[in-house]
Amino acid sequence: MRRYLTPLLFLSPASALILLFFFTPVVATLLLSFTDLSTTTFRHPSWVGLANYQDLLTDPFLKKILANTAKYVGLTLAFNVGMGLLLALLTSLVPENWGDPFRALWLLPRILPPVVYVFIWQGLLAEAPMGLVSDLLGVSKNWLVEAPWTAVILANGFVGASFGMLIFTSAIRAIPRELFYAAAVDGATTGQTIRRVVIPMLAWPILFVTAYQTLSLLTSFEYILLLTDGGPGFYGTEVWSLHAYHLALSNYFGNVEFGLGAAMAAVLVVIGVIVSLFYLKIFNFRALVTEPKIEV
Amino acid sequence: MALLPRNWPLWLLLLVLITLPIGAGILWLVLTALYNQVHGLIPVGRLAPQHWRFLFEGSVGGRPSIWVALKNSLFFAGTVAVLEVLIASMAAYAISRMKFPLRTPYLGMILTLHAFPAVSLLIAIYYILRVLGLFDTLVGVILVKASLDLPLGIWLMKGFFDQLSWDMEMAALVDGASRWTVFWRVALPLVRPGILALGTFALLSAWGEFILPFTFIVSAKSWTLALYMQSFMKEAFVDYGLMAAVGLFYALPVFLLFLFGQRYLLNIYSGGVKG
Amino acid sequence: MTKGTGVRLERLTKRFGRVVAVRELSLEVAPGELVAFLGPSGCGKTTTLLMIAGIYRPTAGHVYFGDRRVDPLHPRDRDVGMVFQSYALYPHLNLFENIAFPLRLKRVPADQVRRRVRETAELLGIGGILERRPAQVSGGQQQRAALARALVKEPQVLLLDEPLSNLDAQIRLSARAEIRRLQRELGVTAILVTHDQAEALAMADRVAVFSMGELQQYAPPDELYHRPKNTFVAGFVGSPPMNLIEGEFTGDGFRAGGLRLALPKAPTGRGWLGVRPEHLGLGPEGLPARVLVVEPLGREAIVIVELSGHRLQVLVPEDEKPAPDAEVRIAFPTGALHYFDAKGRRIGPE
Ligand SMILES: Nc1ncnc2c1ncn2[C@@H]1O[C@H](COP(=O)(O)OP(=O)(O)O)[C@@H](O)[C@H]1O
Ligand SMILES: [Mg+2]
Repeated sequence: MRRYLTPLLFLSPASALILLFFFTPVVATLLLSFTDLSTTTFRHPSWVGLANYQDLLTDPFLKKILANTAKYVGLTLAFNVGMGLLLALLTSLVPENWGDPFRALWLLPRILPPVVYVFIWQGLLAEAPMGLVSDLLGVSKNWLVEAPWTAVILANGFVGASFGMLIFTSAIRAIPRELFYAAAVDGATTGQTIRRVVIPMLAWPILFVTAYQTLSLLTSFEYILLLTDGGPGFYGTEVWSLHAYHLALSNYFGNVEFGLGAAMAAVLVVIGVIVSLFYLKIFNFRALVTEPKIEV
Repeated sequence: MALLPRNWPLWLLLLVLITLPIGAGILWLVLTALYNQVHGLIPVGRLAPQHWRFLFEGSVGGRPSIWVALKNSLFFAGTVAVLEVLIASMAAYAISRMKFPLRTPYLGMILTLHAFPAVSLLIAIYYILRVLGLFDTLVGVILVKASLDLPLGIWLMKGFFDQLSWDMEMAALVDGASRWTVFWRVALPLVRPGILALGTFALLSAWGEFILPFTFIVSAKSWTLALYMQSFMKEAFVDYGLMAAVGLFYALPVFLLFLFGQRYLLNIYSGGVKG
Repeated sequence: MTKGTGVRLERLTKRFGRVVAVRELSLEVAPGELVAFLGPSGCGKTTTLLMIAGIYRPTAGHVYFGDRRVDPLHPRDRDVGMVFQSYALYPHLNLFENIAFPLRLKRVPADQVRRRVRETAELLGIGGILERRPAQVSGGQQQRAALARALVKEPQVLLLDEPLSNLDAQIRLSARAEIRRLQRELGVTAILVTHDQAEALAMADRVAVFSMGELQQYAPPDELYHRPKNTFVAGFVGSPPMNLIEGEFTGDGFRAGGLRLALPKAPTGRGWLGVRPEHLGLGPEGLPARVLVVEPLGREAIVIVELSGHRLQVLVPEDEKPAPDAEVRIAFPTGALHYFDAKGRRIGPE
């Protein structure tokens, strides 16, 4: 057994952190969701079984939040994948010394601090004279309040598009040149080449990006929190994950309903575990594992 | 690539058009930070150094000094990056180059966690941090941030270690090194591109991180720049000029990296970073 | 000169899953001896070497250095030096630091490191390029640097895994002599892995011939050549390889199809008759044969003839080579024949 001491040493910091901040929280989320933990019961939470889940189902706003979530995930996803595809194609259709700077430019929304990024959106959407949109449309309004969904989807979409863009670009670059030459020899137009040669090769990457982003959109709420905080009005853009966060962690309404929030999060956690295990299966990752050649 | 149509300038034009919002946004930020007033994208009036008063005044509206937030942000991002690179490299090295029981399942777990949406765990992590007494401390947030990005880091570094030559590592062992020594003196120096990539990614990601400090930090003395800037957003009257200046100041490292390290950034983010 | 330690392998076995890479290997290397492990690619030579070095753990069996059992030991506690086929120099270090690496790990004082690295490098003729990185020097120089790194810590045992196979043909010959000279001078026990039988015969005191993970024969080059233990060794050692004819021994002769040879004191039963191309005579006497192909090699020529339905290779001096299609006579040298039984084991002559 002494021979496994070294790998154990190498793995222990990572394992400890993963245990502490992945495994424990997964279990804790599930456990907390069965309690009535809240501001008032913080010291003495009691076991309430499935009560939180029942509350969830009977919540009059459940429908609204589900609809919001579907809208947010569906539309943002469509924008992300569509824009990602468009960007990958466009940056591949122009010479590389043009394509690369544009790709880099589209990375900016992703690497800018979210607070700064969202502030820019708020500024652009503000009333005149500040707001560029008001200026251009000639109607001075706070467009964040007028069209909150457009804002939420665009703000998230501009961040998310680069993910698809990069993956699709790699896929396009991996297409053998001979296919393009063959298409050219056959007299295909650019449009035909894209439809017949490029798009078919992107089927798998598109599926991958869609699957991956569905899961991450379902659970992410950082940009909505900053942009509208679920508003305007009552739950205007409140989505499932944000609602869970609000219930459990923001003292917006005074009493923090930790258990109820945990129940909402637990739904996401369970979906997350199942879906990522499913990815693992279709990924065929065993192909990526090779036997080490050193036995000391 | 081999797909360069004769009318590519047309496509370039389309590319420019759909990219305009990004350019407009950045320009708006810069102009708003610099000028007294901006109508749309047209500066009106003179340069406005008063937007930058936060740099000189000890505190703006009862906030801690920006230098405190800057110091916290630097400490936060720096520590997260170092921890993440170090811990991920160690684990990746073991997974890539060592035999031990359950090695394949361990790698499978890392890959699963890489896809798993960690934000859904925030509520439970809040509870755990309180139990550990790490709530409202930078150390706590640092540990959480480093941990949540760890699967990505391990996965990335494993790819780099996989490419090292076995002969060379065997040679080092015969030369008298332990695995630990091989790791530090042979393997790590040779995966420098990976360390740089992961380090840059971790720095950028931690530098911008909002939701974790926002959730787990209360005391203003532990604010990072993200919290400092966000504190202005909640005001009833929004001072756009001041906020743009703060935002520009905060995002400066990102802009610099963008200006001087484009190729490098593209390489890092093409390497399979989470969306 | 201090002599290296002897090496003894005892029923050494290594499995990788289902594959048996090395099976029940026992052999002994005397102190200061140079032994070659010879065999085709994939026969387990490198695996054996890596078990001696301590990189692989034997599935079964033991490794001894002198009287010390070393198979449970970490490589660093075995005192071996090794040169890899790919040289395996550290690309991020210059040649000096590459060679110094084993000494630095032993925490040898800096001035001693400098002296010993210089000495070893001079010995190998690379003293002038120590500041360069591996990628900036030629293959031959990399090979020398790898050898210097293996020798600098004055190991008891030197392991060489195909150290010459990546060199150009011209340098290879001089490198052979160089390694042999160094090894003798330093008195280190050495094991050389190679798939090149000429290299093994030229360099080694004794040669261990492997096939499919099993030791076929372990003997000095002469014996390997003159008394191969089985048809595998007979066919693998020597170039061009020995002619092997399958047929029937009849006690007083050998029969294979239309071929009949009278051999006093021949064994009986089915088996193989072996004869080296250089021992077959082309001349006025002997059995009639027809020339199929003539391959000139310079000083000599390989003549492929057909003799009663069997193809044989004959090595003749260049000026005696016949024309293609010529009718010739083949003389079998009764003193240089090899008999093998149906399983390929040598059965004579004694
Ligand atoms: N680390 C390993 N894992 C699995 N199989 C191996 C490993 N090393 C060697 N083998 C197998 O063992 C056999 C012997 O290999 P090797 O010792 O490298 O042969 P040689 O050096 O004589 O060419 C081969 O079939 C090879 O595929
Ligand atoms: Mg080999």
